Amino acid sequence: MKKTILSLIIATVSMMTFAQKKTSTSAIVAFDASTAIDNLPKAENKTAIAAIDPAKNTVQFEAAIKNFAFANPKIQEHFNQESWLNSDKFPKATFSGIITNPSAVNFKKDGAYNVTVEGDLTIKGKTNKVTAPATIVVIGNTLKTTAAFNIKLADFGVEGQPITAGKVSAEPKISVSAELN
Amino acid sequence: MTDQTLHKLVCLKNMPTIFRRMLKHPKNNKILKWSAVIAGGLLLLGGAVYFYFATLTHDDTAKLKVDYVVEAIPFIKEFEKDYLAANKKYAEKIISVKGIVTATEPADTTMNIKMTDTTTGSYLIFAFQDKHMSEAKKLKPGDNTVIKGSCSDGIYSDILGIYFVSFKRSTVENN
Repeated sequence: MKKTILSLIIATVSMMTFAQKKTSTSAIVAFDASTAIDNLPKAENKTAIAAIDPAKNTVQFEAAIKNFAFANPKIQEHFNQESWLNSDKFPKATFSGIITNPSAVNFKKDGAYNVTVEGDLTIKGKTNKVTAPATIVVIGNTLKTTAAFNIKLADFGVEGQPITAGKVSAEPKISVSAELN
Repeated sequence: MTDQTLHKLVCLKNMPTIFRRMLKHPKNNKILKWSAVIAGGLLLLGGAVYFYFATLTHDDTAKLKVDYVVEAIPFIKEFEKDYLAANKKYAEKIISVKGIVTATEPADTTMNIKMTDTTTGSYLIFAFQDKHMSEAKKLKPGDNTVIKGSCSDGIYSDILGIYFVSFKRSTVENN
């Protein structure tokens, strides 16, 4: 009897742990708009917030625009200015979506799972639908995720001479990785 | 083809002849030589300016003048009270923060350090300059330390329901 109760308690606690929202405050969002003629416009933000809710199959990200670190200070300045990301007015980029094929991942079993994530990406106050393939690796209570996709800067109201001149890619690659606990 | 376009094409075709004729006159020759020198000079200057901007890098934060010296918890409270005013004051400034490390978080091959107000959950998070990464990796939760970095800004997280203030290019001051 005692063994049964103990087993039930362990199972309940395990299920509650798995069902909890997993978060990270050190998720990495990389932005790569480099082109054949300019490899400078690329940056990383290593303090983004990420969350996956295994019970609801939701995926969320938040990244402070000003914390994208470029190697070149001038490019960083341009990235934040009013005509580009206007980070004073729009301080963060957000993503809120769902795993469209939740049956492809078993959050209770260790393993690597390929999923598709679809949701709303908001940059510079403009929201667009994004669909991206992602990988979720389950290791005990930890989830390691990676995803990559391209966006069209024009869709988010980001346009300018460096894009038309081919110095900044019109469709930069966004890569996201996080270890969530 | 319009007359104007035809005229342009004829002019282009005759360019070498026009130049040869111009060079025959000593006065024109001198003007052309000076034009070539000025054009070459401008090209070199342009190249030098481009090279300067293309190879710019951030200064070592350890060597930068501090704009503000603050204590972690009152600093967080300033953002919780009025984050717009706090951002106006601190964003993109070099700040030296004294506080207790509450978490160390791996981010790829690097390490972030957090100082959290445990009563509200709001926190400061420091990403480090590559050259100072080894100092960050020595820190552990509970350490009383001083971290100097470039304050990005403080924003409200809709995901976590708290404020977080991000720093980039940080360095440990009391190493």
